[in-house]
Amino acid sequence: MSPLAELLRVTAVTKRFQGVEALADIDLAVQEGTVHGVVGPNGAGKTTLLNVMSGYVRPDAGRIELAGRDITRLTPQLRVPLGLVRTFQNIRLYGGLTVLENVLLGQHTRARTGLRSLWPFPTPQERALRAEAEAALELFELAPYRSRRAAELPYGLQKQLEMARAMAARPRVLLLDEPAAGMTTDGRHALVERLHELRGQGLTIVVVEHDMDVIAKVCDHVTVLNFGRTLTEGPPAVVLAGDEVRTAYLGT
Amino acid sequence: MSPYAEAVLLQVGINVLLALGYWIAVSTGKYSFGHAAFMAIGAYAASILTLNFAWPLPVAMLVAAVVAAVAGAVIGWMALRLSLLYLAIITFIFGQLVELLFAQWDYVGGATGMIGMTGTTLTLVYSSIAVVVVYLVLLTRSRLGLAYAAIREDERAATASGLRITRIAVGAFAASAAVTGVAGALAAHQLMIITPSLFGPQQALLIILYCVLGGVQYFWGAAVGAIVLSVLPIWFEWLNDWYMIVYGLLFVVLMIVRPQGLIGRSERSGGGPLLRRLRRDGAVAVEREREPVG
Repeated sequence: MSPLAELLRVTAVTKRFQGVEALADIDLAVQEGTVHGVVGPNGAGKTTLLNVMSGYVRPDAGRIELAGRDITRLTPQLRVPLGLVRTFQNIRLYGGLTVLENVLLGQHTRARTGLRSLWPFPTPQERALRAEAEAALELFELAPYRSRRAAELPYGLQKQLEMARAMAARPRVLLLDEPAAGMTTDGRHALVERLHELRGQGLTIVVVEHDMDVIAKVCDHVTVLNFGRTLTEGPPAVVLAGDEVRTAYLGT
Repeated sequence: MSPYAEAVLLQVGINVLLALGYWIAVSTGKYSFGHAAFMAIGAYAASILTLNFAWPLPVAMLVAAVVAAVAGAVIGWMALRLSLLYLAIITFIFGQLVELLFAQWDYVGGATGMIGMTGTTLTLVYSSIAVVVVYLVLLTRSRLGLAYAAIREDERAATASGLRITRIAVGAFAASAAVTGVAGALAAHQLMIITPSLFGPQQALLIILYCVLGGVQYFWGAAVGAIVLSVLPIWFEWLNDWYMIVYGLLFVVLMIVRPQGLIGRSERSGGGPLLRRLRRDGAVAVEREREPVG
């Protein structure tokens, strides 16, 4: 596999909601091992694009490919085992379950989960997964809250837990929907570091984000959307300095 | 043991089985309003086998479980993809339909039902409970049980974790129906006589109440609910026709004081639930007043 292979490809995707074009003929190619930012003003179609990639919204036209395989018609559940995993803008945790259980559920597609999982003595595979979940709690600084219910965690830790749960699926591509939203300055710094770390491990990341500072610091490539169309794309230093972005955001 | 005590223990045991069976479906967050139908299916399936084919009851119980499970899977497949309201309506109608179907079916005696089934013993009832309890203990510690809980908590999050929700929920529904079918078979062979109307909406409601009264957080909460609701009518026999009213009041009080049921922890912490809710609503009202205008 060449380091710059296209891992995720969106081709000519169009989506209308009651006549309004949320996405109009969007093309987007995410290179393996890079962090790809999607920015744009409110209503530009960023989240719709993420929903199309993850399978929550079916496009009216166009294709989505993951590592060359057409996944346009796959449900979200079936994209997870292929390595496409997402987080949500409004965190969606299993609030009544413990922090550890949330991470264990992230491993769902990698574990034995049918009636056979009732067997009381864990298989070596299951033991390895449990150990991995504990390690993930350490890594995401959630170990002290291991047995707390997820709903009891403060906001920042909930965001961290959601990412830990997503990573537990061992994604090839991680789709993040506004990971910096609502974070404190410290939280943003930690997020930037975390994303650098994950990228260093070879993970491919698509991040929809409002915070230009975060985008500038973590992205290798940025796509700017406005009114459902691609306005411009390229390296963040070039794109974010360009007139198109200012025009899109300020409207003049 | 006196025949009276035995009858009580049989009744309580069968109701516990009903509650445990229902709990399996409820643990995925799906409430059925027609579970009495699975009871009927189990009761009739087993009675046909023991009466008309002279099968031993334990074998007939197993067949009853399988037939009820298949029915549960079919109904689940149709209804579990829909919203909770549609699930409630479809399962309710299914219950009515099954009742009607048995009433029209001459082979099983139509509205007059079947008569002469015997063989339900304490051993049979309580070993069935033991099997189900072992299953539930293993289930709640397993990844399958965790998947049930995930679906109950947040379906959207569950799809993002790659859970195939419909498949998992249908499985739970089928298992739930199987246990309910076994309870039906045992009930039929204790009552000696069954009619379709025994398995109507009232029975369906009773099964729900066992779980809701006991609390749905842990399976043994549902069992406690079944025991309490089976013994109460005996204690309150002197109330005669008034006992339904007392029941109703009891439930209203319970839902206010302990909305999570007899067993189980409260969703929020600190203070009594009612007090807390009053306080919280008050806080919300204050918050609204503070909101800036425009």
